[in-house]
Amino acid sequence: MSFLQALRSFFRDAGVNLVRGWKVSLVAILTIAVSLFLSGVFLLASRNLAQSVERWQREARVVVYLTPQTSAADLSEWARRAGAEPWVQAVHPVDPRQAQERFRSIFPSLADLVAGGAEEPLPASLEIEVRPAARPSREQISALAAWRQAPGVTLIDDDREWLAEVQGLVAVIRGVGIVLGLVLLGAAVFTIGSVIRLAAFLHAEEISILRLVGATEFYIRGPFYAEGLLQGTLGGLFAAGGLYGAWFLVRERTGDSLVASLLAKEFLSPDQLAALVLLGTAAGLIGAITSLRGETLRSS
Amino acid sequence: MFLTGASGAGKTTLLRLIFREEVPSSGQILVNGRNVASIPQRKIPYLRRTMGVVFQDFRLIARKTVFENVSYLPRILGVDLRGRKKLAYNALRRVGLAHRMSSFPPELSGGEQQRVAIARALINEPDILIADEPTGNLDPDLAREILRLFLAVNQRGTTVLLATHDREMIQRIGGRVLTLDRGQLAADREIVGSEKPELRLVDEEDPGEDGGRPLGSAGDLEDGKDDKDEEIGLDDAGEAEGALEAVEKGAGESAP
Repeated sequence: MSFLQALRSFFRDAGVNLVRGWKVSLVAILTIAVSLFLSGVFLLASRNLAQSVERWQREARVVVYLTPQTSAADLSEWARRAGAEPWVQAVHPVDPRQAQERFRSIFPSLADLVAGGAEEPLPASLEIEVRPAARPSREQISALAAWRQAPGVTLIDDDREWLAEVQGLVAVIRGVGIVLGLVLLGAAVFTIGSVIRLAAFLHAEEISILRLVGATEFYIRGPFYAEGLLQGTLGGLFAAGGLYGAWFLVRERTGDSLVASLLAKEFLSPDQLAALVLLGTAAGLIGAITSLRGETLRSS
Repeated sequence: MFLTGASGAGKTTLLRLIFREEVPSSGQILVNGRNVASIPQRKIPYLRRTMGVVFQDFRLIARKTVFENVSYLPRILGVDLRGRKKLAYNALRRVGLAHRMSSFPPELSGGEQQRVAIARALINEPDILIADEPTGNLDPDLAREILRLFLAVNQRGTTVLLATHDREMIQRIGGRVLTLDRGQLAADREIVGSEKPELRLVDEEDPGEDGGRPLGSAGDLEDGKDDKDEEIGLDDAGEAEGALEAVEKGAGESAP
């Protein structure tokens, strides 16, 4: 029998076994589907959050607020000084008048708060666009530390500081997803292994006859491996389908809300989706192999 | 050849050693000049393909048809469905059960089930046919029928090694008799039988104690077609022979 003939025979037998013992098989398939679905939810959330963080990083700014006494010449000097830094992409000096105008346009109902008075209510500032990088450079950190101590600076607001915290959150979500996924996959592998072992026990008589007439171990074990592989793949496909359905529902229900834009803006990429299904396939195969390893099948 | 001895003498163990179900702690077992005891594990299936084994309890799968039960080996060897049907038909014809291909074992009598088991053992024209108390579960008439089958197989050149504790049967049939006693060979004798058995194959003309049906009966084949000649290629006996040869060749291949 050629290898392809054998494979065809294995999958035919495995298909028959799946249909005949569909209740038990369904338990195994659903176990793996649930574990992959939950892993997929974490993957989807972390992917979307990571993309948001990446987008925010591109738009990240450092705002240096200067004292109300800062003159136009001082503001220009600060702008020149900041522009010389290697991590700075562009500097936009904002004098108190521009700051007022901006405030009025953003908060028209609060315009009276900044109208009139002897002193300028809003200080001059520097809006600095930072060159794209995953993390603040050493030069940036040391420069900002020095500026914080400099006379004339009241406050420095660095977007990257809170973005670093969000990045940490993304890493935590991803880590929890991986750990949870591994635990659930372990349970799924165990379930599939148990189902395969049960199938082997149910076929014990036939296996003994196959051995008697001269079937090789490959021929005897092949259908069980194929069954595990099919269960795992089906579990993966169910998980992928369920994940898409859940993502679609969230998108439909939440529309343009913050949750949707943060966690469900995009679905998984085809590669990630394929990896999810393949993970199910691998889990099924591993479950079958481990359940029939050594003398297990022989003793059945 | 008969293998006899009291219960626990080691008859079954010796048979299991021959088809490498068990490994001897010392010594060697020569089958066709080859030491079975030293055959590597992965080669055992190929050894077993040259042997046929029949047990007292038939060892048929109840949920599989007679055809499926008989055609395990051709299936392992990758013989296509048509070829398998021809081989199964030929083997079942030798035991007089070609008309029961689509029956299930529980639908058969004990004697018929044992004949199906023998057909399964014969499907690859084995060099050796090993039978462990094959008549132990059968009444005397059926036992005689089965013995007649073994003698016919032997006449065709297959070595038949039959383990039994039925001394009366051995005396009646005769032949070489190996007697075991607590794991030791106690005697190796040639006995002349008191009754000359009728040496012929049971065939469709003599379907046995159940009075078999003619070949054209409905529901005989797997798909229930009446046209058996079309289904199993009886119009070309040479094809069946060719298929048998294909199985023999296949046994030597590196099959899974």
